[in-house]
Amino acid sequence: MTSLARLVVEEHGEIPVVAIEGEIDASNATELRRAIGAAATNRVAALVVDLTAVDYVDSAGINLLFALGAELRDRQQRLHIAVDGASPVARMLEISGLAAVEQTEPTRSAALASAATGE
Amino acid sequence: MPSEGPVELPDVDPSGEALASLQQLTDPALAYMPQEELLGTLLRRASAILRSDTAAILLLDETGRQLRARAAKGIEEEVEQGVTNPLGKGFAGRIAAERRPIVVDDVDHADILNPILREKGIRSLLGVPLIVEGRVLGVLHVGSLTPRRFTPAESDLLQAAADRAALAIDNAALYEQRRLAETLQRELLPDLRVVPGLDLASRYLPASHDTLGGDWFDAFPLPRGRVAVAVGDVVGHGVAAAAAMSQLRSALRAYAADGHSAAEVVERMNQLMWQLGPRAMTTLSYAVIDLETETVEHVCAGHPPPLRIAGGDAEFLDVAPNVPLAVVPAVRFEATVHDCPAGATLLLYTDGLVERRGETIDAGLERLRAAAAAEVAGLDGLCERVVAALVPDQRGDDVAMIAARVPAPPAQISGRWPADRVVLAEIRQLMRRWLRRCGASEDEAYDIVVAAQEACANAVEHAYGLGPQSFELEGSYERGRVRLAVRDEGSWRPPRGLHRGRGLVLMRRLMDEVTVERGEMGTLVVMERMLAQSEGEA
Repeated sequence: MTSLARLVVEEHGEIPVVAIEGEIDASNATELRRAIGAAATNRVAALVVDLTAVDYVDSAGINLLFALGAELRDRQQRLHIAVDGASPVARMLEISGLAAVEQTEPTRSAALASAATGE
Repeated sequence: MPSEGPVELPDVDPSGEALASLQQLTDPALAYMPQEELLGTLLRRASAILRSDTAAILLLDETGRQLRARAAKGIEEEVEQGVTNPLGKGFAGRIAAERRPIVVDDVDHADILNPILREKGIRSLLGVPLIVEGRVLGVLHVGSLTPRRFTPAESDLLQAAADRAALAIDNAALYEQRRLAETLQRELLPDLRVVPGLDLASRYLPASHDTLGGDWFDAFPLPRGRVAVAVGDVVGHGVAAAAAMSQLRSALRAYAADGHSAAEVVERMNQLMWQLGPRAMTTLSYAVIDLETETVEHVCAGHPPPLRIAGGDAEFLDVAPNVPLAVVPAVRFEATVHDCPAGATLLLYTDGLVERRGETIDAGLERLRAAAAAEVAGLDGLCERVVAALVPDQRGDDVAMIAARVPAPPAQISGRWPADRVVLAEIRQLMRRWLRRCGASEDEAYDIVVAAQEACANAVEHAYGLGPQSFELEGSYERGRVRLAVRDEGSWRPPRGLHRGRGLVLMRRLMDEVTVERGEMGTLVVMERMLAQSEGEA
């Protein structure tokens, strides 16, 4: 695994939570995409990606999230993103248009709750 | 000690041929021969001197209780079959144990353990011990296929030859051991050139060139603009200490890369050593330098404290004392955080630097502080002066030290980077420090860094395939305006795939102005952004 970011997967019932810590850039996005994909198996209803401990994201990470969201939608699964609204990462999700397409919540527990109710 | 003067030659060979042969045994070229070749050469020459049919060299193994055939002429099976001979038993065993020549006139009526000697039809034997500085290394023996009475004169001649051979064998073994030690130690020391963002210099001075030490130092990058710097000391010497050291070095890197805090990294190392070993008492000084906040987090495990040198002054960090590793299981380690401003140097070292026999460690620490405090240009110069002031030529302990300096943030950015995605993180870190110096807010710095990264990532993409292998980034700041230019020599490639091209969108949103020039000669991206608070150069 790249030394820039660390990925922790937790199972919450039917819903896996993938927490990323560190930085996402062009050097590790592909690797992270593969690791997240492994957590989102066919049988899960939704996936929570927790970005609250991410310090840096640019278009490499945004592209990853767009692609992940599209793939999950194709399989009728939902993507829920936890991101601190006041952080630069949230601003990136805003200006890239990702926040308009994908469900974002300010905390992991809020993202989990929203994923569990199927909203 | 073998005599250096002329050897008293018996009159077996009035022609002087024996003397010439004997002198060949001191041939300087022997010193550079691999041991196997050396033994073969010595054997042929010894056999020639005595005009014998067979000859063999047996050396004591590392236990010192077994002689093993290492080279043979006429009885090559000895070596091939790995014949061993216990010390004190049989022909060779008795020579080594009794440290004297033994002559066997008739093999059939003698205490010979090794069946090969009889099977080959050897009738008479003469063997002498190989001795250097009172240590028995092994046995040299020659044999005759016809009955022969080896004279005392011949025995003396062979002993003279053996004395010289022993010296050459001992030198070769020492040389081999030294080469192995140096290679191993060199392999275990890190390549400091691969650590971005921090100026580093180091010294490793083994107590002796012939033994391996348990000291090590290391430096490696961590996520989020941090660099780990460590110095450790496994108690003891030799292969075991060096092996433990290499394991601990790997464990430290692995736990650190896993994202644990400095204290957790050290706690896990301690736990690992308790559960799986190596159970070798080890002291460790582990520092994580944050280049962006200009602080250092430090864990001290039974180790002397790091020295911080800044502005012509030097002081030891007031670290929290913890026990050494592998002394107490499941113990908590306490970390401390200290300022490490741009221009400050941290010096981590092992106790070999400050400890001297018959003196308290405080005296050594004070000597180090005084030597390091005076102004000096480079880190190498600092290391040099510290070594000159503190390290005696004859030392009883290894010395390892590493100096790390947080460089001043650049006033501008101007550089060429290899077109490889791994450089992106390094560029981010450099830009953040530069932008802070320009007076950019956290958010502004983030935006500008992202915009620069998008342009750099594009340049890296261009290089994939047959494109150029590097790109240029320039960053300048004037009257509140940040200007970035990223240039590569690749031809423009239209965005491919659904999710390409988003980088340009981000660049335009994050910066006030973005121009992209795509020409025959390559692509040039120029971006500008006005900072809200341009106090830096009002």
